Amino acid sequence: MKTLTREPMLGLTLLILVALMFSFILYPQIQVVLVPGLKGYFAFFAEGMWVKPLVNSLEAMALSTTTAVILGFLYAYAMIYSDMPGKPFFRLIGMLPLLSPPFVVAASYILLFGPRGLISYRLLGQSWNVLGLGGLWGVQTIAYFPFAYQLIADVLARSDPRMEQAARNLGAGPWQVFRTVTLPLARPGLASAILITAIYVLEDFGNPALIAGRFTVLPTQAYGLVSGFGDFVGAAAVSTILLVLALMLYLGHLRLEGNRSFVTVSGKAGSMPRPPVPRLVTWGAFTICAILSGVILMVYGVLVLSALTKAFPSNWAFTLEHFDYVRVHSKSLENTFVYCSIAAILCSLYSVLLAFLIQRKEWPGRRIVDFLAIMPAAVPGIFFGIGYATAFNQRWLDWLDRGVLIMISMIFWNIPVAYRAALAGLAQIDRSIDEAATSLGAGSLRGFRDILFPLLREPMLTGLGTAFVRAVTTLSVVIFLFTPGTTVATITIFQLVNDFNWGGATAFTVGLIGLAIAVLSVIWFVTGRRAIVTHSIGG
Amino acid sequence: MSDKLTGGKLEATGLPEAINLQPAHLRLEHLVKRFGPTMAVDDVTLDIPKGSFATLLGPSGCGKTTLLRTIAGFYEPNDGAIYLEDRRIDHLPAHRRGTAMVFQDYALFPHMSVFDNIAYGLRLAKVQGAQLDRRVHETVEFVGLQGLEKRWPSQLSGGQQQRVALARALVVQPRVLLLDEPLSNLDANLRERMRWELRSLQQRLNITFVYVTHDQSEALAMSDWIAVIKDGRVMQWGDPWEIYYHPRTTFMAEFVGAANLEPVKIVDCHPPKATVVWHDYRLELPAPEGGAADEALLCIRPEAITISAEPGDQARYISLPGTVTRKAFLGHIMRYWVQMGKAEWIVDESDPGANLRTFDGAVYLLCDPHRVHLIAMPAPAPGAPAA
Amino acid sequence: MDVKFSPPLDENSMPRLTRRTFLKVAGTGIGLTVAGGILAACGGPAQQKASGKISVYSALNETTNNAFVDAFKKAVTGIDVEVLPLAAAGELQTRIRTEKNSPKADVFIGGSSEFHDPLGKEGLLEAYKSPNASSVPDMYKDPNGFWTGWYLGIWGTVLNTDRFAKEMSGVKKPAVWEDLLDPAWKGKIVYPDPVKTGGGYIMIATQVFRFNKDEDKAMDYMKKLHANIGQYAGTSPQCIQLVGQGQFVLAPNWGHDILTAKNQGQPVEFVVPEGTGFEIGAVSIVKGGPNTAAAKAFVDWALTKEAAQLNVKLSNRLSVRNDVPPAPGSPTLEQVKLVNYDRAWASDNKDRLLKKWQAATS
Repeated sequence: MKTLTREPMLGLTLLILVALMFSFILYPQIQVVLVPGLKGYFAFFAEGMWVKPLVNSLEAMALSTTTAVILGFLYAYAMIYSDMPGKPFFRLIGMLPLLSPPFVVAASYILLFGPRGLISYRLLGQSWNVLGLGGLWGVQTIAYFPFAYQLIADVLARSDPRMEQAARNLGAGPWQVFRTVTLPLARPGLASAILITAIYVLEDFGNPALIAGRFTVLPTQAYGLVSGFGDFVGAAAVSTILLVLALMLYLGHLRLEGNRSFVTVSGKAGSMPRPPVPRLVTWGAFTICAILSGVILMVYGVLVLSALTKAFPSNWAFTLEHFDYVRVHSKSLENTFVYCSIAAILCSLYSVLLAFLIQRKEWPGRRIVDFLAIMPAAVPGIFFGIGYATAFNQRWLDWLDRGVLIMISMIFWNIPVAYRAALAGLAQIDRSIDEAATSLGAGSLRGFRDILFPLLREPMLTGLGTAFVRAVTTLSVVIFLFTPGTTVATITIFQLVNDFNWGGATAFTVGLIGLAIAVLSVIWFVTGRRAIVTHSIGG
Repeated sequence: MSDKLTGGKLEATGLPEAINLQPAHLRLEHLVKRFGPTMAVDDVTLDIPKGSFATLLGPSGCGKTTLLRTIAGFYEPNDGAIYLEDRRIDHLPAHRRGTAMVFQDYALFPHMSVFDNIAYGLRLAKVQGAQLDRRVHETVEFVGLQGLEKRWPSQLSGGQQQRVALARALVVQPRVLLLDEPLSNLDANLRERMRWELRSLQQRLNITFVYVTHDQSEALAMSDWIAVIKDGRVMQWGDPWEIYYHPRTTFMAEFVGAANLEPVKIVDCHPPKATVVWHDYRLELPAPEGGAADEALLCIRPEAITISAEPGDQARYISLPGTVTRKAFLGHIMRYWVQMGKAEWIVDESDPGANLRTFDGAVYLLCDPHRVHLIAMPAPAPGAPAA
Repeated sequence: MDVKFSPPLDENSMPRLTRRTFLKVAGTGIGLTVAGGILAACGGPAQQKASGKISVYSALNETTNNAFVDAFKKAVTGIDVEVLPLAAAGELQTRIRTEKNSPKADVFIGGSSEFHDPLGKEGLLEAYKSPNASSVPDMYKDPNGFWTGWYLGIWGTVLNTDRFAKEMSGVKKPAVWEDLLDPAWKGKIVYPDPVKTGGGYIMIATQVFRFNKDEDKAMDYMKKLHANIGQYAGTSPQCIQLVGQGQFVLAPNWGHDILTAKNQGQPVEFVVPEGTGFEIGAVSIVKGGPNTAAAKAFVDWALTKEAAQLNVKLSNRLSVRNDVPPAPGSPTLEQVKLVNYDRAWASDNKDRLLKKWQAATS
């Protein structure tokens, strides 16, 4: 605390960040939580319609998070540790599931694996009950493993190979090394991954809406209450349940993460290669990644096919007419690009600064702000949007451009991922490096800018990329905020879908995904020219 | 490229203008630092002489590094004050205290070249352009890293990295330079050489160094002034000679150097003198700390004993019979462990090559009564020793 | 000298703040330009001339919206229309609620009256009885004038003609709801989850009304139907999509959506069993909107024959006016036997009925 009072700029920065957080995360959500009023809450909870969705949510969360994290870990391990061929390809595929604009991707799964699915029925002769928990589990695993993969990969990439070499040297076999050195070292990333994945699975709306059928989870219940019955009070109550669950998850993860330090960037030379991975493992990894990639490619392949045929799957005639819609709605694509790029950059900057203040400094209320930083992940998008719509629809705010408001909502909606990535990155930088800067006369902010910020390039870019993708594919957040001039791509897709214009919707989705891939490629290219940092850590 | 600090070159050219430092007087008053229930720094009061090479010496976990970091400003003291040149600095943020630090693991900025690492502090001070270049280059030469300016930390050896860390701290002209066991990661040979070079560097620059180490021979070799820390408290402070030859407690005696200790009865105690009876000899010695007592510990250093096959001149030595249990050849000395009654004493024989024999079996230990001194039993409260 | 050092920034400058301030300024500029018309028209109650700009929150589909705007501009000059298209009436309703402190919408058009009605009761709508409303039967209007019905949606079933012809040649197309209980349909039906979808619940309520509020008989029906239901879907439109793809053969759903899918080339048909439910599509004026006078002009136009014809043509819905024929493939009001659908009762008893349904079908 004294540090803050002694460095007024630092204190001021913190105040500004916290004020922004209060204004744009806490305040809109309070609006939502307050809607039902005590009576409304009592009535809703007494009704008891929320019990089954709650149980379902927890069930789906447990299942999907486990498999998504395992898959993400395997994928990360394969990418970082093994020698398998085709890594750039797998890296791209690993990111693809993040690009799931609403409706269309989930629909592809049904096309492939449904009761008359192309794979399940035409190929395998099976009629699968894909609409329900089973289908949801599969879809969520694939949809969310990229989050886990990125967070874990970041930590694994920075781990010190010398530890593993030391263990091998002492006689540990590859499995033992993995179990006793690699795995524990990956703990900060793992804890982060589990937390973020669990929260995202919990608040996932798009997938359950299309795949879960009768298996209602909390977000779909909330949506149904609003969209099907106009019961805003009930929906707000459900949103509150989700918030409470997120709080519990957060507290649980604090214990999981522990207090150990896993510093690997310490300003010392370490240029050892990693111990070799057994061939069996390499080929096993390759097989898993290949299968996973195959499934993912099929899903997106179906998407592309839908866009290029008249009425997939009944009419396979080739056509480009659907892409006309892209041209007609180019403004919304443009808006998407502008809003989401700016939002992603600002989100990334905000998050890394906040992570620095929370991880490197001590001040009262730190833990609360830490929770607030991931709270947006726990709020169903629809409520984030409603919160904004309610909070900022006041006469005195009429001058605020809607585009700006949408941008702001995107920034704070995506803080959780960028923030956690920054935290994990920071945890790996030895404090003696900050202290060296301090002892040479650098104030906290200056030291952050000169020393920590450059060393955090990769986690930041990871966070930025993910934030961008999430911003681009969110529908529920913006649905209450957009105006005709500030329409974004997901709204357009929604409109096309409601028009039963599947050709147009898929074509537009393909266009959107193409745009997102282009932006991500730029980021990847920038990261590809690896910073000096990785060389010196023997990566 | 020489791996040495270019001491010789320095004498020829004199102090570079770039490094123009004023020694500062550092004073700690009743400093306390707690971590939860643990007292890491327990009421430490020290007056570090201006322009000295001051060492904080102690075993691992004694709090010496905590103390150093508190001086640097990385820890908030729970109580007490720190003064630099009579100006109170514990209220200042760490980056404004004028205390630069050299870290044990060097903490070089991995994303900056050697030049930029060294230049960093200057840039913070808004030194630019030609002046910046000049100062950095001079310091680079001063520590013997010419030609390496463009390298990255990962491309340097341990010794070179250490010099960069040193140069980086020196170039900003700190009032006090803090060093946290900077040599502990070097190999033995390099370590020895670096000791001399650091020492001569400090002397030439004439600035106050506060040096932390657990290696007592290093402390003795390099320091003007040593404070021995144990469990967060100062056991004793003084110059190396004082510390070595007048340890005030058993811990001091055994931690700094080796010591042979034997309880003796005090028959007559009139401070500053006390009379003891030791092996049928009556000795009049300076009284131990803490005033009158019945017994004390008699302390004699291994090198102060002569090992011999026969009893020595009775007028000069107290001869004690014993049996050699083992011996070790350490190059410049032969160390004998000699059993005398219940106790096992250590005796160092210097220049063993001069004697054409080694000792075995029954021997006599010849002790010079002027080379023994008394330590109080139990140890008195920490404080300044009697002058 | 290769200096990898960012240009020295004053410790006092915060690049982020600067950027944000710039954005706010730019954003304000853009906002003013785009929304200038709306704000200018927001002159308060003094301005009663029907001109300027109106903002229409529309739950109609895109082609209908475009056609409406064009036609309206030709019919009523001097009013500019900006449509906020969101084919989800529930979302629009919520949006209007969130904007109550500073209403941005003038007109709320489309979507079932079940969404307009609560807004009226909450005081968020402006009561207006248009002169053109005389052509609308009373049962399709709000007695207080907060909303006016102008189209109907008929609840029926969507049938995949390909699979039906191939696999179910002996079975007849459902003429009454009981036909769906035929074991031949087992596993071939997909149904929109009534807990989450309006349509799914309306089906249950329809059964209740069909049995004259004998809930036990209704639940018995739903239970038997459940045995034939292959899977449940999360949204109503998704059912049509699945049937169109051939994953299932039949689904209960909205006629207009089914016909739209058919016109898109899907191999489907709209079949209406006897004694079915319906929804009333409404239009209303938001209270305190920027341009209420012009809003009224729009409502007047929406109730005309021309508007009704456009809507029928472009969205396959049914007009409440008896001088407007239905879309091809859609039955007329006379041909369809509708149940006596008591909206208020259905709404009040929703939770209770859903619980009963869950108990009956789990």
